Amino acid sequence: MCGQIKEKIMLENLNTEDIKTELSRIEKLDKNTRQALSKSLLIRHLDAGSCNAEEAELLALSNPIYDLTQFGLDFTASPRHADVLTVSGPVTRHLKIAMEKTYNAMPSPKIVIAIGDGACNGSIYEKSYACLGKVDDFLPVDIYIPGDPPTPMQILNGLLLCKKLMSL
Amino acid sequence: MNKSNIISILKKCNLDESTINTSHLLCNIQKEDLQTSIEVLLKEKVSFLTMFAIDERLSSGKYRLDLIFLVLNANSLLTFKIYLDEVKPSYPAISKLIPAAEWFEREIHDMFGIIAEGVDLEPLVLHRDFPHGKYFPMRKDFKLNQEIKISEVPHEFIQPHAEGMHQVAVGPIHAGIIEPGHLRFCTIGEQILDFNAQLFYTHKGIEKSAEGKTIEEGLVLAEHVCGMCSYSHSVAYCQAVESLSKVIIPKRAAYIRTICLELERLNSHLSDLSAICSAGGFAIASMQAASFREKAMQLTSKLTSHRFFRGLNTVGGLKRDIDNDEFESLKNQLQNLKKEFESLEKIIIDSDTLLDRLETTGELSFIQAKKFGIVGPAARASGIDIDLRRDFKYAGYSNFAPVISIETEGDALSRTKIRVKDIYSIFDFIPRIIDKLPIGKIKEEMPELLSATPKEGIGLVESAKGSLIHYVRLDEKNKISRWHVRSASYMNWRGMVQATKGRNIVPDGPLVNKSFNLCYACVDR
Repeated sequence: MCGQIKEKIMLENLNTEDIKTELSRIEKLDKNTRQALSKSLLIRHLDAGSCNAEEAELLALSNPIYDLTQFGLDFTASPRHADVLTVSGPVTRHLKIAMEKTYNAMPSPKIVIAIGDGACNGSIYEKSYACLGKVDDFLPVDIYIPGDPPTPMQILNGLLLCKKLMSL
Repeated sequence: MNKSNIISILKKCNLDESTINTSHLLCNIQKEDLQTSIEVLLKEKVSFLTMFAIDERLSSGKYRLDLIFLVLNANSLLTFKIYLDEVKPSYPAISKLIPAAEWFEREIHDMFGIIAEGVDLEPLVLHRDFPHGKYFPMRKDFKLNQEIKISEVPHEFIQPHAEGMHQVAVGPIHAGIIEPGHLRFCTIGEQILDFNAQLFYTHKGIEKSAEGKTIEEGLVLAEHVCGMCSYSHSVAYCQAVESLSKVIIPKRAAYIRTICLELERLNSHLSDLSAICSAGGFAIASMQAASFREKAMQLTSKLTSHRFFRGLNTVGGLKRDIDNDEFESLKNQLQNLKKEFESLEKIIIDSDTLLDRLETTGELSFIQAKKFGIVGPAARASGIDIDLRRDFKYAGYSNFAPVISIETEGDALSRTKIRVKDIYSIFDFIPRIIDKLPIGKIKEEMPELLSATPKEGIGLVESAKGSLIHYVRLDEKNKISRWHVRSASYMNWRGMVQATKGRNIVPDGPLVNKSFNLCYACVDR
């Protein structure tokens, strides 16, 4: 079944032009750093207040059907080992400090990917005493993967796009 | 016990009783009579469901407190309604009689400033840095967008106080991909001595933000309370609003809802099994269960166009019909999945190493489970025979009775076995409904909603994690004026904490946690 996923993804078809304007930060990295990161990316996931659907879909990426590791991607337990921080949201008042601490604990360069509508644009959750809204109000976001929640396939596409940008 | 019995009991307490509808009794109670009435009631076969407050100061000048009980074997609900004064609102603590009510009392104190007399009301929903006593978010005069400063004030836990004792802090950001919550183990050597949790990290104020919204907007919010239980929340919300009208939803819609509820249970249980095996260090079974889950999710997606059933329900039925061919194909796919699942069950049940981890781990006795009001598979694993699919029939469950299995050991193994048995029963249950699926319309208009009095409805659903309740109250313009959600995980969290405190070592912590597999988003809202 793993082959199927690889066929569906077709790395060469990933279009980086579409999102280039958004990715100035990744492009600004020097070539050696980008080359070093282009082979493998370690991901640290952070739930900043999501409804847990995004987490379920991210977890699905490690099952044998999607098998994230075959693409040189993997989840890591510590932000100190991470190249990429994936954030699902919206950001809540109770998690704001924890989120900033996690971001600060990451070594540079730090790539931030917002996963799901909540993180990308705040979704249906109104800004309130408890809910602070979208992620890019707090952290510099490099790639947005919208969806309610995005399917594992869409998340995988986003992650591979990130990897491809590194090798340009 | 039947309804007339309940009425005669209530008469004994001199209660002013009235009927909302055939399956819902309502009693107005004076604050002073509350404890004696509960004492009398608890001698009968009733189960505490939920408790919540409503700010009615604009209309009646008082706060209102509602306690809802399920009358077992009568298919009926019972509500105790108490009015509390505007100035220094308080009531005698209920948690002394019903320990399961403790969190409710603390939440009502946080959100409304209503005091339960005689108990310690530690902050629960709002963390330590919130200006408690100054702002009460659920009061009507609190503005949703009120800005409140955020600072770091650590939660107070019991500190290790003797030689050889240690503290293990976990979270709120976990090593794995799970939701945020701060857990504190107090250990002596490997043994867990004390365990406590600080939750409500993902509290988004959803209940508050729904106020003033239309019914349909509220439904979208209900679908987004939790991802794993998304469809259960959506059905419970719809049932709450539908109960305001005498219209009964079309049979086809009710049956399709039932099929989808069971599919959600399948998704959730397979994910739980995967998590249990993973926490037990048994990668093969964990990965197999995970891939089965993905297959079930893909079936869901093919059937309903969304992997979490979102956008399918509407008040009065379904938004769109599903082709009968789709159901036939689902039936076949489930048969295939069942065959594959049989081999997985064998791997799990035959693995001595896994059984060794599961047996006697995280024990929750019948008495403890009763005390904390545990619901769902966790309750059934501790020998409590309760399931809303049978005890408060809704949707298609009045025509089709699911198999409800019971275990008595109350350990992680029992909870695993319950899930395995549930999964088998789903494989047989869904085809039974598909075979009898009627044709016809899928949506009924709800014309009476505008004129209904009182505009308060309750919806109950047995989600994969246990019973789930939505209370919806509409104002005269049919906008939501109060929405209360009590999820299954809200009841089970304290049971999980208790089970972890038992004779367990630190590495058992995740296993106990996963054997309950509670949602955080459901609890935090």
